[in-house]
Amino acid sequence: MSQIWKYVRVTPSGGRVRGVPARSSTTSISLPGTPDHLSSQSTLILRFVMSIMEHNGGSVVAMAGKNCVAIACDLRLGAGAQTIATNFEKIFPVTDRMYLGLAGLASDVVTLREKFRYLTNMFLIKESRPLEPSTFAHLVSSTLYERRFGPYFCEPVLAGLERTPSGSYKPYIVGTDLIGCLNFAKDFIVTGTASDKLFGVAEGLWEPDLEPEDLFETISQTLMNAVDRDAYSGWGAVVHVITPDKVITRTLKGRMD
Amino acid sequence: MNSFASRFIASSAENEIRQAKAMAEEEGLTDAMWGSDAGFGSLVTGHAFNVPAVPDPSAFLRLHTDDHADPNCKIKIQHGTTTLAFRYKGGVIVAVDSRATAGSYIASGTVKKVIEINPYLLGTMAGGAADCQYWETYLGIQCRLHELRNKERISVSAASKYLSNLVYSYKGMGLSMGTMICGWDKTGPAVFYVDSDGTRLKGDLFSVGSGSTFAYGVLDQGYSWDMSDEEAQELGRRSIYAAGHRDAFSGNTINLYHVQEDGWKFIGNYDVTKMHYEGPGPDVPGAPVGGYGYDVRTHGRFSVLPTAVPA
Amino acid sequence: MPNMSAIVHPQQRHFNPYAENGGTILAIAGADFTVIAGDTRQSEGYSIQTRYAPKVFRLTDRAVLAVNGFAADGNMFVKKVKQRLEWYKHAHAKDMPLRAIARLIQTMLYAQRFFPYYVYNILGGIEEDGSGAVYSFDPVGSYEREACRAAGAAQSLVQPFLDNQIYFKNQTAAPGRSHPSHLPLPDVLSIVVDSFTSATERHIEVGDGLEIYIVLAKGRSLQGVEGLHGLRELSTQEDGERVFVLQRDLKKD
Repeated sequence: MSQIWKYVRVTPSGGRVRGVPARSSTTSISLPGTPDHLSSQSTLILRFVMSIMEHNGGSVVAMAGKNCVAIACDLRLGAGAQTIATNFEKIFPVTDRMYLGLAGLASDVVTLREKFRYLTNMFLIKESRPLEPSTFAHLVSSTLYERRFGPYFCEPVLAGLERTPSGSYKPYIVGTDLIGCLNFAKDFIVTGTASDKLFGVAEGLWEPDLEPEDLFETISQTLMNAVDRDAYSGWGAVVHVITPDKVITRTLKGRMD
Repeated sequence: MNSFASRFIASSAENEIRQAKAMAEEEGLTDAMWGSDAGFGSLVTGHAFNVPAVPDPSAFLRLHTDDHADPNCKIKIQHGTTTLAFRYKGGVIVAVDSRATAGSYIASGTVKKVIEINPYLLGTMAGGAADCQYWETYLGIQCRLHELRNKERISVSAASKYLSNLVYSYKGMGLSMGTMICGWDKTGPAVFYVDSDGTRLKGDLFSVGSGSTFAYGVLDQGYSWDMSDEEAQELGRRSIYAAGHRDAFSGNTINLYHVQEDGWKFIGNYDVTKMHYEGPGPDVPGAPVGGYGYDVRTHGRFSVLPTAVPA
Repeated sequence: MPNMSAIVHPQQRHFNPYAENGGTILAIAGADFTVIAGDTRQSEGYSIQTRYAPKVFRLTDRAVLAVNGFAADGNMFVKKVKQRLEWYKHAHAKDMPLRAIARLIQTMLYAQRFFPYYVYNILGGIEEDGSGAVYSFDPVGSYEREACRAAGAAQSLVQPFLDNQIYFKNQTAAPGRSHPSHLPLPDVLSIVVDSFTSATERHIEVGDGLEIYIVLAKGRSLQGVEGLHGLRELSTQEDGERVFVLQRDLKKD
């Protein structure tokens, strides 16, 4: 949430956006339809942004292990306090060894999922080479920054295995804020309405070089206990553990309240 | 003490004592503070509550405590609840959830939202937890005094009216409570809804809190006057489950009480998630075999669209 | 001469007597002991006011109070609770029982219902039956007895970890076995220290120092932690409940 705070405060005093620098046509930064979108009451906008980020609920966490990574999400889709669905997955496969988690506004989750599917396919067609996590991370970042002044209300988390020159794989996890600031972490990335709870549990349970089964237990315990203290997340969970030769996907029975 | 005559007392010693006492009372240092009065001694003097020295004290309170007006305010008073009570042939069923939330954070999952006023009266808790706890404890004291003075138990109607009048005297000051006073008196089973606006309603069936709409859905559908005790208890439990499942601010566990002619009885504490997956157990009249959960009851009996869309 | 412009254009000033001073407190009840802990950093915004401001206070030999929120309100509240306990002792020639202290705190907080103390209280100690107990309060006095509770800036980081490690939430016991209902003292102490190092790592308002109070039931042993570095006894009597304090460093960045 501190990132959103920064996003609002970056606007000049009074909050009005003046003189947006001209960009080349390929990387235009689009402004929202209403010119006064960012005007005056920056605190109002802050509250607006926060309520949008909390409106549908949901959380995602990713963790690095020894030669493996794990990524997990809850299954709730809400409208404010009301729970609409309990089968809304927020993690999507990008390649065989890379998954993307999207927490935030559900409509933007779906929009971004389709957008990244398109961009991934276009990359594979044009480049005819494997898409590595480090490449995709920057694709995510620049895609989000394109909407700098009218962002997608989503904070993506990426978990995958990066191929090294020697041919082996190394764990790669990265998170971004809603305008694409990359956060490379060696241990874990959290996002969504339970992010603060996830930080606390993950910091207490995670340790370096966990084997796939231990990493599964660690990420599952982290997610379940965090969302049980969050009103907007929970109602079941899905965990993916990515190893060089397979992806293990499990659905967890969680609290249903 | 401040009677007209006492102002003309000649003795200077008595005068001094009177002045000292007046000073002590202004500071809030009364005899009640030394003795018992169940901690409610501060109410005896009549100027119980300290109020900030601002033109509009309730606006001050709202500014600092109301998280609907300002989600970033410091003092978060806990909100979010589902409570219900209904009257039927066999008495009164009272069922509540146990969740307390502060913003999106679930501050507690073990809150006692049924307040045991005395062996014959129950109060439920919605809105400000402290307001309900404090004033319903105070109501318990007043009910006992009524018993001692009149040699008979207070009626549910009188008890609820006592509370209603009390909170009405603080109207506009920012108290927040929505409570059901439930009991059994000479007239039989009784339920009264009392809130901090001053509303007091007699009725057969009430549900209060953020999850009340979900609870009403189940309650209205299943309610009848002639239910058996087991069916009535199951209806209360099932209604709170529905709210716990659909409302983000309700859940964790269900507390179930039954009021009969000989007073209230605690039936049990039920985990909402256990009710979802396993249900209340076998041989409960009116309950489905297995869990309450929609997906649990219909598992494998309908076609499911694939959820994950491959990228 | 009155300021005419002020009369023509009334200006609203709002009265804000509250600040948020960060920090986190936590208490865990065992079968025959209670552990109450708090960090010692006091901050306002991004500034650290002091690295050592205690938030946990011994009330009696069997009661310890932790306060969090607005430090000025907290310190004043502890002072007033101590005063009332002193009066009680003079009137009744004994220390107030823990559950009575809990009710006292409720009425003292509720007396300020319309001008609240901005303080979250956690009371820990030994009940008259010798069991460990934790009472947690909201700023206007609603309270509940629990087995474990975290409050303050990092409560949302610490509490789910405690749910997992103390209550064994989301953990299934091995077939034929069950989770213990109470943990031994050394286990509780290491969970407390881990909770605070985690909170220090991820929350800017937590850190500097850690003070852990241990309240022991009458005649119970320290279960092997008596040798711990820096353990200090604070009890006034040897044959009753006993209070100890343990100090640890936390990261200062």
